[in-house]
Amino acid sequence: MDAQALQTIVGVIDKRMTRQVKQYLDICARCAICKDACHQYVGTDDLTYLPARRAELIRQVYKKYFDSAGRLVPALYEARDPDDALLDELYTSCYACTGCRRCMYYCPFSIDTQQIVAIGKAMLIAVGRGQEMLGQLADAALFKGENVEMFRDVLVSGFKDIEAEVREITGDPEATIPVDKQGADILYVALAGAHSIRPAAVIFHEAGVDWTISLFEAANYGYFFGDPEKARLIAKRFMDEAKRLGVKEVVVPECGHAYRVAEIFYEAWAKEALPFKVSHILEVVDRLIKQGRITVEKGRIEGRVTYHDPCQIARNGGIYEQPRDVVRALTDDFVDLIPNRAEQWCCGGGGGIVAIDELRDVRLKSGSKKVEQLKASGASVLACPCENCRLQIEDLNEMHGLGLQVRQVIDLVVEAMPLPRSASAS
Amino acid sequence: METYLQITSIWGVYLTAFVFFAGMGVRIYQWATTPRSPVPFGMFPKPATRGGRIAAMLRDTFVAPHSAQIEPRMWTFAMLFHLAALAAFVGHLRLVQEYPVLPKLLGTEGMNSFAAWAGGIAGTLMMVAVLYWIGRRTFGAFKNLSVPEDYLLLGLLLGVIVMGNHMRFFGDVHAAEYRAWFQSLLLFRPHIPEEIMTSNVGWSLGTHMLFVDLFLMYFPFSKLVHAVGAFATNLTRSE
Amino acid sequence: MPGAAREKGSTMSEEIKVDLELDLKGLLCPLPMVKVSQNITNVPVGGVIRAVATDPGSMADIPAWAKSTGNEVLSAEKQGNEFVFLVKRVK
Repeated sequence: MDAQALQTIVGVIDKRMTRQVKQYLDICARCAICKDACHQYVGTDDLTYLPARRAELIRQVYKKYFDSAGRLVPALYEARDPDDALLDELYTSCYACTGCRRCMYYCPFSIDTQQIVAIGKAMLIAVGRGQEMLGQLADAALFKGENVEMFRDVLVSGFKDIEAEVREITGDPEATIPVDKQGADILYVALAGAHSIRPAAVIFHEAGVDWTISLFEAANYGYFFGDPEKARLIAKRFMDEAKRLGVKEVVVPECGHAYRVAEIFYEAWAKEALPFKVSHILEVVDRLIKQGRITVEKGRIEGRVTYHDPCQIARNGGIYEQPRDVVRALTDDFVDLIPNRAEQWCCGGGGGIVAIDELRDVRLKSGSKKVEQLKASGASVLACPCENCRLQIEDLNEMHGLGLQVRQVIDLVVEAMPLPRSASAS
Repeated sequence: METYLQITSIWGVYLTAFVFFAGMGVRIYQWATTPRSPVPFGMFPKPATRGGRIAAMLRDTFVAPHSAQIEPRMWTFAMLFHLAALAAFVGHLRLVQEYPVLPKLLGTEGMNSFAAWAGGIAGTLMMVAVLYWIGRRTFGAFKNLSVPEDYLLLGLLLGVIVMGNHMRFFGDVHAAEYRAWFQSLLLFRPHIPEEIMTSNVGWSLGTHMLFVDLFLMYFPFSKLVHAVGAFATNLTRSE
Repeated sequence: MPGAAREKGSTMSEEIKVDLELDLKGLLCPLPMVKVSQNITNVPVGGVIRAVATDPGSMADIPAWAKSTGNEVLSAEKQGNEFVFLVKRVK
């Protein structure tokens, strides 16, 4: 490690240090109660994935450069320079972490490993060791944001294709996917994938919602990559769009981290109060069902249905009941996974890990607890918001022969709606 | 003997008091002067009110119900240790001032016997908990997580407890003599009473205090600052 | 099989020599972009990937990825329900 790189890393720790993280690093007792909380450590038995160990790597550097006792007697804390070996382990442990914060839930000091890992990612990025794929995905999103006119035609043409499908499903030749509609009530910021747009468009159309679709996607690879500035700019694309259109509510898709970024982080990042509210699509769907604005019929979904709480929506986003209420409106045979809500096991697919090829083995092993839960539930249908969770659980489903239908919740909703072609909606 | 006791139990105590309070002060100052993250780190469900947040923080800090749920054995030993340490601390307050009511109620003999039982139980529990921690850390699957700091602290703690227990179980010196010594420290007219120096536990007191001095001097520079920091971090949990 | 890559040495009907074919049909965005990105190092510099996706979002994703990584999309066409890309590795 040359002096320049060392200085860069130390500078980044200094710049990114917050009171909370400093307290975490100072007080962690290495009691390892987190060992049974982390799906990755439980699934792999590999110390690299023990939450306290992830923090320890950053703490070793912190102790050496930011703590008088660590400077004086580094051996006592195993304080050391961030050499290649440390950075290699840091890369794996930080980018494998799904940020589910189940360890924080059980920690006697509520230490937020995700925030410590964020400093680890910043250290890696500073010396050009950030995860390449996540970096590329973030840059592509930024490029789209800066050159929206370049992509407008393809995007609008894509929306037209989906619109045609929505017309078939609803049987209404007038159904539209409004783009750039000034003064609409809702701006729906979907994912790039049509699957996140089609069912939402059907629901909004049937409920008579005054909505418009965003030209941007809610997914935020800047956040996964670990660059808060990129993350802010990626979210800013649709926040600015919402301000320009003067909407009352920004609605993000089922995607977990997108909700947390938009609802919990963005105002603090941007240092501004948003003039509209931010909602998760399932909050809106729950509202529409309870207001009687859409009709769903029980009996159309066959088999026992269970629900997976994506960490970023549930433990980290506070949305526990609305999705359950939605699912309960669709079926009488609903069963919760055990444990659930704040104690829900992370499926292992969060934090961008599904896009990281070299961590595939760890990811699949880390799903062992989720597989146990799913088997024990006896369900044949899994209502599963969050793209990352679904990708992971689809893999687990195939690998362990669970025979589950892993479905977006809004797909199930559309399926339960009495529509001319609802069966083809998924 | 006199020199040993003067170093560990008189001048060492003054030095320790200075290092401990200054060290903790510096640590808290460092926390207070580092800017908070503007992003809320809280997890859900969150208490709705300020009072609710504080109640949750106190519950999480003093009872750690979630930790109890996930590793009951570790939680049990940790609880035993902390409660026994609290009891021992309360017991040691007799060094400052004899309890107001209890001695009159129990009589001198009764009070000595009560102190012997209470102190003996607390000391034993602490020793058992520390031995459990050493074992768990040394033989657990996560043993490579540990660093020398962990063992140093447990070693010092074991030293404090073992020597304390030695005085408790094998000494024939009672509270009055120790109080004479400790009050002399508080009044800055330090001396070691003859009864302690000529007793069979003079060495034990010296060594007990040696470990106490080292333990408390190291305290502010170690992970033990969780004693203060845990209140802040458990409050962050609901922000 | 979605996402499966197979080596291909021969030319397509177009003039351009394709080094790698990627079947990304059925993959949801942003996975088509991820797969192209993961496979770009499997062709030599100057080499071309032909990728076929079904998610319309890929029509914006893949060109945006190429621009921001300094690669080149030679063509992006809608053919029926499929989206066909020719992506050239520039560096």
